[in-house]
Amino acid sequence: MSTSLVWIAIAIYVILAIVIAVISRTGKQNNMVSYFLGDRKMNGFVSALSYSATTYSAFMLVGLAGLTYNGGVGALGFELIYLMGVSLVAFFGPRFWKVGKKFGYVTPSEMLGDRYQNKTVAVIIAISNCIFLIPYSAVQLSGVGYLIQGVTNNAIPFSTGVIIATVLALVFSYVAGIRSVVWTDSLQALFMIVTSTIVVIILIKGLGGFTGFFGTLETDFPEYLTVPGNGFFSFLNFLGLSLPWFFFSLSNPQVSQRLFMPSSLKSLKNMLLGFLIFGFVYTIVAVIWGYSALMMFPNLDNADLATPLVLQSELVPPILGVIVMVGIMAAAISTIDSILLTLSSLFARDVYGNMNKSASDYTQLRVGKIVIPIIAVLAFLFAQMEVNLIAVLSVSSSAGLLVVVPAIIGAFFWRNGTAAGVISSVVVSGIIVIIIEFTQIKPLGLASGIWGILMSTFLYITISLLTKAPKEKAKEFLSI
Amino acid sequence: MKMKERKWTLIIFVIILIAYILPYTLFTNVTKWYGSFLLWTVLALITIMVNYLITKDWGKEE
Repeated sequence: MSTSLVWIAIAIYVILAIVIAVISRTGKQNNMVSYFLGDRKMNGFVSALSYSATTYSAFMLVGLAGLTYNGGVGALGFELIYLMGVSLVAFFGPRFWKVGKKFGYVTPSEMLGDRYQNKTVAVIIAISNCIFLIPYSAVQLSGVGYLIQGVTNNAIPFSTGVIIATVLALVFSYVAGIRSVVWTDSLQALFMIVTSTIVVIILIKGLGGFTGFFGTLETDFPEYLTVPGNGFFSFLNFLGLSLPWFFFSLSNPQVSQRLFMPSSLKSLKNMLLGFLIFGFVYTIVAVIWGYSALMMFPNLDNADLATPLVLQSELVPPILGVIVMVGIMAAAISTIDSILLTLSSLFARDVYGNMNKSASDYTQLRVGKIVIPIIAVLAFLFAQMEVNLIAVLSVSSSAGLLVVVPAIIGAFFWRNGTAAGVISSVVVSGIIVIIIEFTQIKPLGLASGIWGILMSTFLYITISLLTKAPKEKAKEFLSI
Repeated sequence: MKMKERKWTLIIFVIILIAYILPYTLFTNVTKWYGSFLLWTVLALITIMVNYLITKDWGKEE
């Protein structure tokens, strides 16, 4: 792929996205709800696209395609089980939305702090979210680095790609807060689903149509159509990968915060259904993509390079290849800018806001805006530590976020949950996840996410039973 | 939790159990497109339908 073509495509994307970001500047933007939640007035269609863009990052066409390349159909199962997990929104979405509106919450951690009547809960969850989401953003940034390096045969080095992505994410979240994020996200999501679907149709045609495509798989790579198949997706591995993602829609604040934003329950419904359809199509596209790479380039050492190679292959017209490449870059950016914005709202609202009791809403907003670039720089530094398999690190961060899930479920469904239960479950299980990830030991063969959720559930329940629950607030949440 | 929600929770729970169990048992040697590939695809589509049914009346009761 020619370097000048890549640069031209990046330039067009940057100009287009910045124009959209600037146009999106409506509303006063001078308070937390306006800047971080779009005044709770988001419509369903844009929310669905933006939810999709935030969830689906560079991971899909790089990491998931890579997982398919390495392990076969298990990658499809893993991603579709995640999609099924988004059904949680059908149960928790209206609850988040109603309490958000009723009590004026800006962040999910603020909600939990109020629910358990303890500010430390909010502070600890906010900090734990930051600890795990900054690596997750870094994964996205390095995804961009690999991709651009790959498609230009090292003409644009890894670090240049990472810098471009960091700067753009920063700009999109700064220009108009959530509004610029949501509109640039929507542009990216629409663009991506259309172009990548076209590429996949071309690939299937080029590889012999539906019958030829699956025929080749069935004869040359039969183990890629089953699990455990070649062994990559042993059951325990599969469970360890998919379980943290199953709860993604609750555990990840950049998406659970979205539940506060829709203008009505109807918008929330459209957001959920729109996302599920988008996710379904995109998952199939990414998996077929990985299979195509497997058929065209069966012996790669690094599966993350499968996608750049497909984009450069003779089957894909160069212009389309470049467009999708920029689309993948934009996908990473649309995930990072949402995370940047969410993390800065967490810091401003829950950490700063609780430590300085006199901090006004306006001061919190100012602090939030200062924190955005700081988090971006941290993610940038993390991304410089090149990691091998993008998916693995990405899943580790969701394993770490998973430990908050019992506290979230309990907030709406269990009247006996207490602050002590939440704090112990989040802190102790969070540390256990970090230890397992660092040492790479798997006690009893179980991955960090499984240990995390088991420990946090156990601690949340037992410690809660030993302490006194805030009955009044519990009642309000349970009856919402 | 309302009765209706309990019913939907149970249905989704069963779909997910199937998604974990069948590919590792019944379909573990079916090296065809209509094995695990089709099974997971169909289960995801059913889940989307279930979500449609759960959310059908949202906004009407506001």
